[in-house]
Parts: sequence; structure tokens; C-alpha cells
Amino acid sequence: MFAEALAVKGSHMATMESTPGPRTKVYVAVWISLLLIVAAEVALTYARLPAGTLLAALLVLAILEAALGLMYFMHLKYERRILFWALIPALIFVFFLMNHFWSDALRLHSMHP
Amino acid sequence: MSELEMPMALGHGAALEESPFGIESKKLVMWLFIVADAATFGALLFCYGYLRVASANWVKPFAFFPTILNGVIMTAVLLTSSLTMLMAVGTAQSGRRAASVRWLGATALLGIVFASLHLREWFSLIAEGWSPSTNPMGGSVLFGGTFFGITGLHLLHVICGVVAIAVIAIGFRRGRLDARHVEITGLYWHFVDLVWMFVFPLVYLMNVR
Repeated sequence: MFAEALAVKGSHMATMESTPGPRTKVYVAVWISLLLIVAAEVALTYARLPAGTLLAALLVLAILEAALGLMYFMHLKYERRILFWALIPALIFVFFLMNHFWSDALRLHSMHP
Repeated sequence: MSELEMPMALGHGAALEESPFGIESKKLVMWLFIVADAATFGALLFCYGYLRVASANWVKPFAFFPTILNGVIMTAVLLTSSLTMLMAVGTAQSGRRAASVRWLGATALLGIVFASLHLREWFSLIAEGWSPSTNPMGGSVLFGGTFFGITGLHLLHVICGVVAIAVIAIGFRRGRLDARHVEITGLYWHFVDLVWMFVFPLVYLMNVR
């Protein structure tokens, strides 16, 4: 019975051995996209934008890069969806909670002469 | 009850169930580590933002040459190392062991190039008088603390990654490790790359003169 169970586990492991990913040309396309986003970030930095606008633009581009990296390079797009839903929303929630202290930072800033 | 049936009766059945995530435990552990480490870097970047917003005399020390140009090259090197790591995983999964080891070597080499460029930048800043507690330009000394803290932790991750890739490459070449080990190491390496995608714009580009 135990031997049968091990055989079942073995078949499960076989299905989990590796995650099928995209083809090489998809990887190269994502890599080029990431390089272009970095170039756009540098160009925006020297476009004399207001600091708040630049920060927002850089954050949007960084999140886009992270999404591409997670989905294609780290194969999250090709895993079971439950893995994404178990990990990513919780992490985003943690980052959301970290926003609590901005009001204190702004208070300290306004206290300076 | 035979001896073979005993482990099942003692409650080991759960260990034999298929993972609900469809991945083996080693890979799940790496994902959990990545999420925890992402929260750590997130907290550091939020602290940097807090100190920056709260400081009236924050300094912006970086010029395009050499710092930003060096940062762009470092970013390109790290992104390329992710591509070589993907090739290492692909060749490992298709059973091309020698090719995979070569790609792992290329990834480790690019990691060393990144770390060397980073250390050269650090030594240049230190020579100018920067440290975690000193600021040669006047104004807030907090820039040095946050800059060296965040980039230092990332550099530590890169160095650990290079060591891990070397260990995995040796084990894979000798047949002690398999393609899954290469894939899991690749997950870590891509995460290190992903963190830099936030460090470079927030710590470098937002501090251009």
C-alpha cells in the first residue's frame, strides 16, 4: 500500500518537475522591452518634469518591468493561477499598508523652517 | 498491518498529496522567500522615501557621467544575466547539461561584472567623502545611509546569487543536481534583477542633479 502511495507521489512529482515556459524569442522580446523601458526612464529623468510627475512615471515603468519579469522570466504566467493569487495580492497589500507613514513624513517636512 | 502500511496509518498520507500549487516544495519555499525578501526591500525603499520627504535639505549628487551612465550599464548587464539564466534553465530542462553549465557560467560572470561596477562606483563615492554618515556636499547626511544601505543589501544579494549559481553549476555538471535546482536558482536570480528595476529609478534617477 505504501509502495502504491509512493508511486502516486512519483506521478505527481513528474507533473511538477518543471514549468513549461515560453520560447526563446519571447524571452528576447521581453529582454528588449525591459531595456527600452530603462532607456525611457533615463530619458524621462532628463525631460525636466516636476519631481512628483517624474516619480509617478518612474514607478509606473518600474511596476511594468516587475510585471514582465514576474510573468515571463519567473514563469508566473505559466504556473497555476492559485500560485499568483496566493502570493502577489498579499505582497501588494503589505506595500499598501506601508503607505501609512507618508502623512508623518509630510508633517516633518512642513516643520522645517 | 504490515510495516509498509504503517506510515500511511500514522498520518503521513498528507505528505503524499499533490501540491495545490502544482509545484514541488523546494520551488514553493523559494517563492515564499522571494515574497518575504520583496517586502524587506519594499520596507527599505519606503523608509528611504520617508526620510527623503521629511528632509528639507536632501542632496541630489548624481550626474549623468559617471554615475547614471554606470547605472545604465549595470542595469543592462543584470538584465542580460537574466536572459542567460533563462537559457541555462531551458537547456537544463532539455537535458543539454554542458550547454546549461556554460549559460550558468555566463550568468555568474555577468553577476561579477555587475558587482565590480557597483563596487567601483562605491569606492569612487567613498573617495569623494561619502559614507553612511557623511555628506561632502553639505545638507542632509541621510542620503549616504539610505544609498549605501539599499544598494549594499542588493549587492549582497548579487554576490550570494553568484555563489549559488557557481555551486549549482558544479553540482549540475557532476550530476548531483538536476534541472529543477537550476530553475529554482533562476527564480532567485530573476528576483535580484527585479529588485534592481526599483532601486535604479528610485535611488539613482530620482537623485540626478
